[in-house]
Amino acid sequence: MDELGTFVRACKSPPPAHRLDEPVALWREREVLDGVETKAAVAILRTRGCYWSLREGCAMCGYFGDTVPGGVAIDALAAQWRRVLRHIGDARYVKLYTSGSFLDPHEVPREFATRALADLAAAGVAQVLVESLPEFVQPRLLHFPGAPRLEIAIGLESATPLVLDRCVNKRLTWDGFERACAAAHDSGARVKGYLLLKPPFLTEGAAIADAVASARRAAPHVDSLSLNPVNVQRRTVVERLWRRGEWTAPWLWSVVEVLYRCADLPVRLYCDPTGGGTRRGAHNCGDCDQRVLAALTAHRLGSGEPVGLACDCRARWEALVAQGPRRRDGSEPMGLRRGFADGRGY
Amino acid sequence: MEPLAHEGLGRWLRLADTETPLALDATPGAALLPGDGCADGGALRLSDRELALPPPPLGRDPRAQPLSLSDNVAVLEGAATREPRELAAALVAARETAGHRRLLYAPAIDPVEMPLLAYLGVDVFDDLTTELRSVAGWELYHGDWVRPPMPRDDLAAHNRRALARWLAHLRQAMGSGRLREAVERSALHHPRVTATLHHAREALAQRDSRLPRSLRAGALSLHHPAVVRFRRRLARTAPPTKGMVLLLLPCSARKPYHRSTSHRRFRETLRTLPAWLRLHVVSVTSPLGLVPRELELAYPAAHYDIAVTGHWDAAERAMLARQVERLRPEDHYINAVVHAGAASRLLAELLRERGLTVFETGAERPAAAEGLAQLHKAATAALAGQPPLSGAARGGGEMAAQARFQFGALAEPLLAAPVRGRWPRLHLGELASTAPTLGGLALTRDGAAALMAAGGPVVEAGDFRLRGDLFAAGVTGSRGEWRVGDQVAIVQRGEVTAAGVAHMEPAEMVDLQHGLAVEVRHRG
Repeated sequence: MDELGTFVRACKSPPPAHRLDEPVALWREREVLDGVETKAAVAILRTRGCYWSLREGCAMCGYFGDTVPGGVAIDALAAQWRRVLRHIGDARYVKLYTSGSFLDPHEVPREFATRALADLAAAGVAQVLVESLPEFVQPRLLHFPGAPRLEIAIGLESATPLVLDRCVNKRLTWDGFERACAAAHDSGARVKGYLLLKPPFLTEGAAIADAVASARRAAPHVDSLSLNPVNVQRRTVVERLWRRGEWTAPWLWSVVEVLYRCADLPVRLYCDPTGGGTRRGAHNCGDCDQRVLAALTAHRLGSGEPVGLACDCRARWEALVAQGPRRRDGSEPMGLRRGFADGRGY
Repeated sequence: MEPLAHEGLGRWLRLADTETPLALDATPGAALLPGDGCADGGALRLSDRELALPPPPLGRDPRAQPLSLSDNVAVLEGAATREPRELAAALVAARETAGHRRLLYAPAIDPVEMPLLAYLGVDVFDDLTTELRSVAGWELYHGDWVRPPMPRDDLAAHNRRALARWLAHLRQAMGSGRLREAVERSALHHPRVTATLHHAREALAQRDSRLPRSLRAGALSLHHPAVVRFRRRLARTAPPTKGMVLLLLPCSARKPYHRSTSHRRFRETLRTLPAWLRLHVVSVTSPLGLVPRELELAYPAAHYDIAVTGHWDAAERAMLARQVERLRPEDHYINAVVHAGAASRLLAELLRERGLTVFETGAERPAAAEGLAQLHKAATAALAGQPPLSGAARGGGEMAAQARFQFGALAEPLLAAPVRGRWPRLHLGELASTAPTLGGLALTRDGAAALMAAGGPVVEAGDFRLRGDLFAAGVTGSRGEWRVGDQVAIVQRGEVTAAGVAHMEPAEMVDLQHGLAVEVRHRG
């Protein structure tokens, strides 16, 4: 295990005890399906969790805390599933998350997965999004008889090996990612790529450059790209660095910048920042956050572009980004976003 | 690379056309060159030299190793954000890891923390935080951030110049031994600076470099390393002879105290008593606590200035109690006379607690006619029945106290030599004599040789005729421990050829090729 792997493990602690017969969370949201805004239902199943997280894990991922490392028996999964089904309602688009890989047969038993997807088809769902590490995106594991159309979301995070290796601690190769995209497309599924904005250790400027370069490289292989500004999850390397002030969550201006610089891509790149506008998520000065977030939502739903936004804090962001290659880590002076006005936070 | 001065753990270096501590992109001729890609740390440009920086600490647990090293630079990663205790520990350990030839760079430091970090050894800063402050409309004014009283459109350029001046000011301060003052000023209103300084206190007391320069004492000076060192060393000393009477007197504004009007008056009053040489004068002062007469010349007893208000705060009272403990009056004195103005009551109590008979004069104005009469009366009572003591009998003990205070256990072999003269002009055989400019005993070549024989500090120099001072280029090795300002023996071809004052640390004069290593004071 290398330095970062050891660091990731040092930040972890065993997840708390969870109820096994209830999903982690259920909610509904607005989404776009085939260019039309539609209702989507979202469910997070409680499972054993990501196999990589059991060994080392990624520097920003705290979903480990929602898992049951000993595993969840199939009847418990079935109990969770009954609640999920009640929640679906008239949604035609369902996002079925686990805190790991839906396609990993050791995490989500094939028998359960097949029946669950068939249930969704019976309920009139047109498309189901599931997440997986690329190593499980294989023809054999993609075959679910009677399932709705699948959308496989793959966390590419970055197309730069150095960033994956030294900042994210994800053992993912570009070839593996390409192969997974091809396998998914061959099976008739769609592919969504996840990209990180500002993994730990990167400066704000380097983070923007890396996200843009990664989006350009990934675009030909996917159907859409989701930009995930890194947020501070519990018991992670990110949280440790953030508490120490050596890394701050990205600015919303950085999100806007990446979207702007990727506007010419052939696939949709959008962003729905987790924890946007809070200290643990992407944020600006606190005055303009809600406006920028609203513009990002409008962009995600296809009803607007994040342009024409302005705020005093943008000049400070520009100065920070311009310093990019001269800074050595993802930190910034405390209070920069608020212009060093009195008061704590931001 | 040539050190021009030292203070604390820091140094003022001359490097070709520029000097450190400096701020990249603010100090003329110094720039921070960006790296190419996120694994390239870039470089420092200092006049026409480019020094590569180590790669950024990608994937590193910041607690594991705070320093990144390249050939010529050591970077203290996260220096701007490290928690004070950790920051102090990292800085204290940095020079040993980095060596003296590497420049120590602390990235993205706020100007207000620069005096402290320079004091703790940082050579290179940058303007990253200053630049971001400028964009937010703040003006750098005397090392702090203020809203400009009237709008300026050249704020960025103005702040860069102000930052360069700030660093020039810090170099200057180091040259005159006053960087500590700049540190204390910035500590007053910045918790982070205060806390870091607090955590570095012990290391500074152990390793502080300093030539005897005057000390303008303030509220924070109780923790000044030179002051702490003085107070600790009191425990090394004893009064000149057995059977003396402790006489506590107030300090004076004039230094050394014995030259002041008030102390002259005390002396005039007491010298009529037959056994008056049995009185051991110890002056009561803040921040030093207790200063026995024979240590009045020692640094910083003769070199400080403080406001005298007659008020002793809680920290000062605790300090006095500790110094009374170090004086061990119950072992050394037959009784005591307390004539110390505002501190008298506290001291009398402390002495009585230790079982000493105390004659308190109770004088509110010790040097006024009434006070002197009270002093005369109390001293007469304290000395009643005591036989007179000769000046010569005191001399040996005064010399011993001075030598032990300065050299600790190493002083013992020197003390076999005969003592001549009367304090404050004492000679220790051909080995040493009191030297007010040096703040204590100045060693001759033979004295340094005697100290060396006891395990004292030795600078080994090459085989050449030593004419003036010794420079780093001529140094080949070192033995023993010392700090800048201590006296050392210079050894050439196995023989001690000179004695002098070290201007560099042991490893530093071996590592570096330029600069004054030893100021030679006596040659054979």
